[in-house]
Amino acid sequence: MSQPDLRNELATAEVEPLLPIEKKLIGWSLGLGIVLLVVLISLNHFVPIKI
Amino acid sequence: MSDIAVERSEPIALKARLNEDWLALVIGLLVFAASLFSIAGTDLLGWAVTTSVYTDVTTALSPIAKAYAGLGGGGALIATYAALVIVLSLGVTTLGADARKFAIAFTAVFALAYASWILGSYAHIAAVTPAEQQKFGISWSLKLTNEGGFVVALLAGLIIANFFPRLAEWLKEAIRPELYIKIAIVILGATVAVTAAARLNLASSLLLRGAAAIVEAYLIYWSIIYYISRKWFGFSREWSVPLASGISICGVAAAIATGGAIRARPAVPVLVSSLVVIFAVIEILILPFLAQTFLWQEPLVAGAWIGLAIKTDGAAVAGGGITESLIMAKAAAEGIHYQPGWILATTTTVKIFIDIFIGIWAFILGYIWTNHIDKGPDRAKPSEIWQRFPKFILGFIFVFAVSLWLAVGSTPEIAKALPAAAGEANVFRVIFFILTFFSIGVLSDFRKLWQQGFGKLAAVYFVSLFGFVIWVGLLISWLFFSGFKPPLAS
Repeated sequence: MSQPDLRNELATAEVEPLLPIEKKLIGWSLGLGIVLLVVLISLNHFVPIKI
Repeated sequence: MSDIAVERSEPIALKARLNEDWLALVIGLLVFAASLFSIAGTDLLGWAVTTSVYTDVTTALSPIAKAYAGLGGGGALIATYAALVIVLSLGVTTLGADARKFAIAFTAVFALAYASWILGSYAHIAAVTPAEQQKFGISWSLKLTNEGGFVVALLAGLIIANFFPRLAEWLKEAIRPELYIKIAIVILGATVAVTAAARLNLASSLLLRGAAAIVEAYLIYWSIIYYISRKWFGFSREWSVPLASGISICGVAAAIATGGAIRARPAVPVLVSSLVVIFAVIEILILPFLAQTFLWQEPLVAGAWIGLAIKTDGAAVAGGGITESLIMAKAAAEGIHYQPGWILATTTTVKIFIDIFIGIWAFILGYIWTNHIDKGPDRAKPSEIWQRFPKFILGFIFVFAVSLWLAVGSTPEIAKALPAAAGEANVFRVIFFILTFFSIGVLSDFRKLWQQGFGKLAAVYFVSLFGFVIWVGLLISWLFFSGFKPPLAS
């Protein structure tokens, strides 16, 4: 894909609205990620690094 | 990325990537295996060239082992070049490249890259502490440490890419940063293992932190960047997936793997990849120095941060090396002498953990796309998980496991001889880092950023990277590592 094609393509591309499956992917990923991070941070707090 | 890469179809690009992974694994294992012979008393790698900080350039180079001192620095350099050009030229034939063309280009690449390394070791650039300056009889220095040579190599590549494009084009046969860094990472397994063996409980705790890095990169970063790309910038799904993957997971490999998984046109992830490289270069030039200034008292936070913030294997792991060197130098100036290897090991662990799951994430996206968005006969298959798994990581894991066993599970005599053996392999790890930095520079044509169309892609990258990826990465690194320091050198 050459540069003029890239410019043209991005300028003329139709807007694709977010599909329900995309919203689910974003929502579930973010939600699961935050929950898991909280779990890991808690684990880190109760199992600190021992040197 | 080269124009050749743009023209390849995705199955061929994936096949080339797999062969490059296996080639890196084979060469890395070759170096590691050769280094182990020294444990039995046969030094197969002692002729390799090493560079010291100098004021007199005739004293800069020497063979790594005293037994080979008769070679002299020049002889060691020639021997090292000869070994590399033979092994790599033979190796790239398995990738379909022309050995002769590669050898010619590699000669120039090695010469330019290693010359940069030698320049970076000049005392006025590399010397850090007042004691070092006094030793070399100088009154000032840039204090970059001898690993500042990586930055010199990067800058040399950047100059070539942006001001001598025809030379960059001529060199391209040997400009293979991914191959070089994968070989380096396989070899690095030995150094990381020797480091970890000294403090197993600290090392094992890194695994938990590695898990956090995966969660952050895949679930949090990816989803936010995908949303920004789709909703704020209006990119299509085809562009947003490789863009989100490139920015959040691991630049080149993730963009290509996930782009392929959703059956995007091959050129899309390749164009995204070139943007990833450019931003990684900007990050290498800034983040290690920020880490030295603000995080020198939290070295492991710095190491993890580099692994989370810089988005290609080459730049991240090599950036970890620079960060370690800079932080250790600053700490040494304050009278604190950390054991080397821990910051680099932290960066590498974080990055490797992120890489491991590329295949799984690509499969998940492929499944969603082929079953719910672009339904068709070409459905995602579980076999793609293995297909897309970065094979060179198997090399790192194997080298790490063998080295760790030798360090803690074998005889005291072997354990005592292992660090020296790993040190000889490490000489080659450093050389492959140098080649990686130089190659990344040569691939970074900043003029692309200014071309219309690319600017919009760059805007998503800029907003995401400097808007939250870097800072959330710092916060997460702080939460997991603050207060814990590397062991002190004995």
